[in-house]
Amino acid sequence: MAIEKILKDDASEEKGERARMASFVGAIAITDLVKTTLGPKGMDKILQSTGRGHEVTVTNDGATILKSLHIDNPAAKVLIDISKVQDDEVGDGTTSVVVLAGELLREAEKLVAAKIHPMTIISGYRMAAECARNALLQRVVDNKENAEKFKSDLMKIAMTTLSSKILSQDKEHFAQLAVDAVMRLKGSTNLEAIQIIKKPGGSLKDSFLDEGFILDKKIGLGQPKRIENAKILVANTAMDTDKVKIYGARVRVDSMSKVAEIEGAEKEKMREKVKKILGHGINCFVNRQLIYNFPEELFADAGILAIEHADFDGIERLALVTGGEIASTFDNPESVKLGHCKLIEEIMIGEDKLIHFSGVEMGQACTIVLRGASHHVLDEAERSLHDALCVLSQTVNDTRVLLGGGWPEMVMAKEVDELARKTPGKKSHAIEAFSRALVAIPTIIADNAGLDSADLVAKLRAEHHKEGCNAGIDVISGSVGDMAELGISEAFKVKQAVLLSATEAAEMILRVDEIITCAPRKREDRM
Amino acid sequence: MAAVTAAQPRSSKTESYVDNKRKEDIRQANIKAARAVADAVRTSLGPKGMDKMISTANGEVIITNDGATILNKMEVLQPAAKMLVDLSKSQDSAAGDGTTTVVVIAGALLKQCLLLLTNGIHPTVISDSLHKASTKAVDVLTAMAVPLEISDRESLIKSASTSLNSKVVSQYSTLLAPLAVDSVLSVVDPAKPDMVDLRDIKIVKKLGGTVDDTELVKGLVFDKKASHAAGGPTRMENAKIAVIQFQISPPKTDIEQSIVVSDYTQMDRILKEERNYILGMIKKIKATGCNVLLIQKSILRDAVTDLSLHYLAKAKIMVIKDVEREDIEFITKTLNCLPIANIEHFRAEKLGHADLVEEVSLGDGKIVKVTGIKDMGRTTTVLIRGSNQLVIDEAERSLHDALCVVRCLVSKRFLIAGGGAPEIELSRQLGAWSKVLHGMEGYCVRSFAEALEVIPYTLAENAGLNPIAIVTELRNRHAQGEINAGINVRKGQITNILEENVVQPLLVSTSAITLATECVRMILKIDDIVNVRIMKWQSTAKYLLSSRILYGGFFLNFLFCLFVFFSKLCFLVNNETIHMQHAHLTIQALL
Repeated sequence: MAIEKILKDDASEEKGERARMASFVGAIAITDLVKTTLGPKGMDKILQSTGRGHEVTVTNDGATILKSLHIDNPAAKVLIDISKVQDDEVGDGTTSVVVLAGELLREAEKLVAAKIHPMTIISGYRMAAECARNALLQRVVDNKENAEKFKSDLMKIAMTTLSSKILSQDKEHFAQLAVDAVMRLKGSTNLEAIQIIKKPGGSLKDSFLDEGFILDKKIGLGQPKRIENAKILVANTAMDTDKVKIYGARVRVDSMSKVAEIEGAEKEKMREKVKKILGHGINCFVNRQLIYNFPEELFADAGILAIEHADFDGIERLALVTGGEIASTFDNPESVKLGHCKLIEEIMIGEDKLIHFSGVEMGQACTIVLRGASHHVLDEAERSLHDALCVLSQTVNDTRVLLGGGWPEMVMAKEVDELARKTPGKKSHAIEAFSRALVAIPTIIADNAGLDSADLVAKLRAEHHKEGCNAGIDVISGSVGDMAELGISEAFKVKQAVLLSATEAAEMILRVDEIITCAPRKREDRM
Repeated sequence: MAAVTAAQPRSSKTESYVDNKRKEDIRQANIKAARAVADAVRTSLGPKGMDKMISTANGEVIITNDGATILNKMEVLQPAAKMLVDLSKSQDSAAGDGTTTVVVIAGALLKQCLLLLTNGIHPTVISDSLHKASTKAVDVLTAMAVPLEISDRESLIKSASTSLNSKVVSQYSTLLAPLAVDSVLSVVDPAKPDMVDLRDIKIVKKLGGTVDDTELVKGLVFDKKASHAAGGPTRMENAKIAVIQFQISPPKTDIEQSIVVSDYTQMDRILKEERNYILGMIKKIKATGCNVLLIQKSILRDAVTDLSLHYLAKAKIMVIKDVEREDIEFITKTLNCLPIANIEHFRAEKLGHADLVEEVSLGDGKIVKVTGIKDMGRTTTVLIRGSNQLVIDEAERSLHDALCVVRCLVSKRFLIAGGGAPEIELSRQLGAWSKVLHGMEGYCVRSFAEALEVIPYTLAENAGLNPIAIVTELRNRHAQGEINAGINVRKGQITNILEENVVQPLLVSTSAITLATECVRMILKIDDIVNVRIMKWQSTAKYLLSSRILYGGFFLNFLFCLFVFFSKLCFLVNNETIHMQHAHLTIQALL
């Protein structure tokens, strides 16, 4: 029986049961991979690259782990995507979202095995998610009016976020740093203005917040090391001779002196360019590209601080914070926006000299200098701090706050359970399953801490049966504790994003009943 | 199908909901690998420690006693082992010395952790207790330390020689220790008394002679000959030195150029013009009174030609060519002069002054010395001599360690006893402290205390003494209140180590403890190793760049630009791209 081939060679398709199996297996595998990183006693992972050098990263950040995995399973890819989106949107909860989606799928797998149609499960999940969200909304605390309380809320959120990371030992110090930095932003979520500089050496405790901007570059030879009331021109221009960039362009001369003339003319062009730049009335010039010896000397003669070879990032940020624009032509000095700052000086951090711009135009700008024993520590510290900063900047806009430590999950689970009891029909099973998936999060937190999760979660559930209880898992003492007293808080926005995107992702994967793998595009060998 | 096969390697994990076997395995494997690294360097600890000979992949041989160097060259692959290598690097940058100690402590801590783990203690509990113990340990060490005045040259020399005593060059410690102290003290800026920038100390290595001939030069040393090509002067008193960044050679434009010669007379004229051109430059130089020229190396064209050397010799100007661009800053700082990038800017006020610039023959090679510099910047130069390259290299590493030790003392002015005394005291005090702690913590702190005994144990073992006898004896002496009792390796017994002048900076000990704990805690917290693929743009671009040089086809050109463009888009290689563009330009110039 020769059935004609519909798909190309190498392409494959999987249907019904098997397709769903593949999705479930993939998604659950991913969940199991990252779930041990959840919570304050979560473990870290080594990411070992298979590329040259076998570089090693040690991390606890779900998004970082998932981003680096290379995976063929389509369902697993969906989970990785939601963790990425979570990272971009709110910055934290990247592990939670994947774990919750995975648990939802794990429960769905059982329901499908019990012959419940995926569509029924989906609609049950939807109802449950809506109900859970309402439950959270009822219990949120909003301290927008009270600045003092709000600040302490921010501190708590920052500490909760940091407690699961490498910074946990110095979490108060870093929470303070993060809160100060975010408060400077005054409500904008533009984290660009917060610059993080990593300098090996010292210990994590030596990290500090500095107002202004720090550029990791050197000041040219023989130029002033300190400038007050600086007018800064930020540029991206080639400071060697403007070359005629046509292939094969060449000059023909008939004597040596003419060559010398041309050389002189080239030099003259450079001098002209420098003159034009000086014509802007500046006293600091920062270039993205190299400034060669000759112009450097000219700048030094004019008493101007010239910084060469600042990278893309540095240039863009510098332009942003000093309020200047990146210039590449210098013919119209009046149309170029110069940057301003009160003071430029050279400072030493550890063993390195850096350039410090203080009193910059954009008041929000600040720099966090991270110190740490090694690059692993610094990289991980940066990731952790970034998470905290993201969450805080989101919280400043949406000031609603929840308790942490598994408390929101238990609150939601309780409400969802109620709903399940009220709902007639098969949907009720799905809603019940949703509640079980929610409870899985405190279970995993307890498991990671090496605690008896079954016992703790049961206790927690009993506590939550009382009205207005604040009970959550206190991982440090290994028991059920009052989260309000322990000061463990989370941002409402993070929880909501976790809940909604996990439900959506689970829904999407559940809908799949066929996977078609396309034939890989043939590529010609490069060499 | 594809999906199933992809999930296959991980399928064991999907089932292992309660199965912690894999996590345990990973942890065990990590700890074992890290300990293997620690064991490898253990024998090089202490004054009687042995050296290692490392033969690198390209056939080079290195003999060293420096932990950081050994580990650096070992090329370990296992991630946890790699973290130990990084640990010793961190110690190197933080304190400069104690790179072996830190790894040995980390190894001992891991050994104890393994025991604790098998007893079923949760890794995070161990990790938290270790942190507490290390904070306490730093307090204990600080309490033990003896404050030091920076003017106390004797004590500084003592601690520098303690560091040098464990090296290959230990017999020269009487020479090298004062040298290290003097050179650091001479670069200390009175405005910022606790900052020492070791980049202000230049180490020049020259083969020939013995380590005995190593000297501190108040001035500059170039490992280069003065240019002899046309019999120019090789000794200049009352030198006026110019550092130039332009070239004294026939003009060359950035645009491609060619001189069209149509008849014989024209050729003559061109030659004459060339001579006049160079002569004009040299006249300008001579007019400022300059008599020594330092010329920066240029890759685009000859820095000097035979012709210009000839004229310079005639003008009695001493020439040192091929000065690296990186050295320019150091040189200008030392000579207190400004680099000159154009002949038009050649002015007398940009010159540096020195009493004497002379070429000195050393064995088969020659160096140029600049001494008696007027208004000399806060820099100094050390000239290292040795009978073979291996000795010189090891001497340089040892000297670097000694310099770091002195630097530590300048920035944190406390001394502590050596010879295992601080470790055994820590072990004793932490042991006592662990008894007042509750629960798991006490148990873990006790293990930490036990782990620290590894240092005196290894010291004794390496010196061929009976380690158990020595360590128990040491413990006994410390229990009786002799906190400075330590192992005297020379005499093979226990003495008051402070009286024996075996001292080290406090910073070395504290940073060894904190760094080792931090690293161990990181290793403990790992429960999985995930293989990942990195974005390949960088490496591919580099590969293309290299093949471009080989084949240089249009197609490759195009690909290369595409890649550079892409990598810019990806924001992956900020600096890399710039470097590449840079290289790109250079290549264009070369082709």
